[in-house]
Amino acid sequence: MTGVRRGRILVVDDEEQIRRAVGRALTARDYVVETASNGEEAVAMAAEFDPDLVVLDLNMPVRDGMWATRLLRARSQVPILVLSVREDEADKVEALDLGADDYLTKPFGIDELMARVRALLRRATAADTSSPPRFEAEGVEIDLDTHRVVRDGEEVRLTKTEWSLLEELSRHPGKLLTHRWLLERVWGAGYADDVDVLRVFVSQLRKKIERDPRRPRIIATDPGIGYRWLVRPVEVPVA
Amino acid sequence: MAVKSPPRALLPDDPGGRLHAPAALRRLTAKGQARRIGGYSVAILGTLLMTAALLQFRDQITPLSKGFGFLVVVVSAAAVGGLGPGIGASILCFLTFNYFFLPPYNTFVIGRAEDVVVLFVFLGLSLLVSVLLARATDRAEAAEARESELRLLQDLSSDLVAAVPGPRAYQSMVSRLVTAFGFSAGGLFVLDPATRDLLERATVGVEPGTLTPRWDPASDLQPPERLPLSVGGRNLGLLVLTGPRPPLAPAESRVIRAFSDQFALVLERDRLLRTATDAEIYRQSDQVRRSLLAAVSHDLRTPLAAIKASVTDLLGEDAAHRPEQLREALESINGETERLASLVANLLDMSRIEGGMLKPRVQAVDLQEVLATATDRLKRQRPRLRVRVRAPEAVVRADPVFLDRVVTNLLDNAGQASVDGGSEQIEVESRRDGDRVTIRVIDHGRGVPQSVREQLFYPFYQLKERHPRLGTGLGLALAKGFLGVMDGEIWIEETPGGGATFAISLPADAGPGA
Repeated sequence: MTGVRRGRILVVDDEEQIRRAVGRALTARDYVVETASNGEEAVAMAAEFDPDLVVLDLNMPVRDGMWATRLLRARSQVPILVLSVREDEADKVEALDLGADDYLTKPFGIDELMARVRALLRRATAADTSSPPRFEAEGVEIDLDTHRVVRDGEEVRLTKTEWSLLEELSRHPGKLLTHRWLLERVWGAGYADDVDVLRVFVSQLRKKIERDPRRPRIIATDPGIGYRWLVRPVEVPVA
Repeated sequence: MAVKSPPRALLPDDPGGRLHAPAALRRLTAKGQARRIGGYSVAILGTLLMTAALLQFRDQITPLSKGFGFLVVVVSAAAVGGLGPGIGASILCFLTFNYFFLPPYNTFVIGRAEDVVVLFVFLGLSLLVSVLLARATDRAEAAEARESELRLLQDLSSDLVAAVPGPRAYQSMVSRLVTAFGFSAGGLFVLDPATRDLLERATVGVEPGTLTPRWDPASDLQPPERLPLSVGGRNLGLLVLTGPRPPLAPAESRVIRAFSDQFALVLERDRLLRTATDAEIYRQSDQVRRSLLAAVSHDLRTPLAAIKASVTDLLGEDAAHRPEQLREALESINGETERLASLVANLLDMSRIEGGMLKPRVQAVDLQEVLATATDRLKRQRPRLRVRVRAPEAVVRADPVFLDRVVTNLLDNAGQASVDGGSEQIEVESRRDGDRVTIRVIDHGRGVPQSVREQLFYPFYQLKERHPRLGTGLGLALAKGFLGVMDGEIWIEETPGGGATFAISLPADAGPGA
């Protein structure tokens, strides 16, 4: 793939040395990179540069990453990868609640960053295709269009709540969905803090679709933050 | 007697003479004695004079009138001397009246029944008057004594309340008590109510260590008065008073006990105050610790994150680096490693300064050399920064290592400030002012508001913000700390046209042979 422009990435961090290191690594991997050093610059640059992905540091002076997330999300669906430090756990969850797509804790390796970047860019492309998603993995076939789940040749019956949970998760493959986000979508705004309810239903769902619920391959847990749908949808040839 | 008299110097001055209020207590007893003697004198002399006077008119006046004359003597004696002299005068007058003035004269025989009535009415009346007068006098005396007790107690306690907590105050209170009650020595022993450990001692009138909470019969001190000080069942200490004086009279004992109760309350107050202060100190140092941790984690993590990103970038097999990218990545790793090393050095220096472990080795230092080394280092770290140095030859008295740390921190600080303020230039100047040399590091950043200039030199000053930066916060505190141990000074000025100028001054070297 060398030589092919893979995507445009906006790197936002107040620390120059981080901006440069990350920018250099991305450039060496054929991404087109722009940088910004605070939230305000990030929003302005996003409008001008029209990135495919924003790598956004949360902890910045003046206008921080949270502020930028809110504004970026209000204007576009551009994937946002949040950079945070360990003690800013709460900020990270809030940014994800606000619509950031994933996070990375500093210090991180470029290989980790690349994995997240590729996953997010892929999902962004997949989301553009309008065909209803279908999944085939780990011995399970899931068809959201016909509402059918088949495991090892046998149809699996899901309750109404389990279905909507499955739908919300699988509609955003690869994206880290926070507890609050899932609870609000599936149960409603009044249940936003009932993490235990969510945990029970995820565990039920896993028992029905995962081969080994203790080592999930379809719904991954991000402890303390949320869940992530790991399976990529089947590419349906456009008729 | 082996008791040493109290050294004058240990006893407080008493300009107003208030200390002698308690002597009034003793004076009262003495006064009683004198008054009684006076009373008896009045009784005897009065009777003699009255007899001599009345003898002139023995036959002209009635026995009743004579009786009234003698009654004056009785009343006077009782008024002056109280009950005893009153009764004495009554009996004396009764006998004299009978012997000289009731016929037949010069015998105790009474001729007329009427005179018998007069005589005994006189006696009854005299006794009654004596008793009544004596009682009134006693009451007045008691009231006076009580007032004097109260005055003493009030004096002592107002001093106690006004005293600033601490051993000195305890010392002066003990000393007042010793003087007030005529002791020669005293001691206060403050105990920890929980562990019974001796926290503080304040002794007066003896060599320190001679007076102990427990009386040693073998010592040359007299058996002391021991007054436990306790509040709410908590034993807070012991007051020991000793000296060549009779045991405490009930009135004195009352005053001392009331006073020691108040003293106990003051000890309790001081104890609570100490506890509160300790808690406050702990809270503050805890906050500094947390700030330090936050700053360290931020300032160490940023270079670490840059290093890790660059290294894993170079390690990645999916990337095709151009030669200049490779070089840039390696340079960045090098720069960040240096930054980490200097942070660690700063942290170590700070802990040495805070621990008071800095031992400067002051010597003649060539200022130009120090500035050149430090500016070269800065240029390596910030290749784009322009550093202009204007420093004539100068030799200062300083520790070369400390001075290098000071200058490095100031340069680093100025470089960062200039870059943050959108400028790429700093200046360094030095000038000799009399016997001192002033060095100025001038940046063109955003400057330092007047209101925070002093605080800037406290370590972790900036850490109340959300974005702690150890580098600057610690750097200035370090510079001040280093300068403090080698007769240096540091202050902030405004750069004309915007920005901050950090100035330091050091003693100039007087040259060889000086």
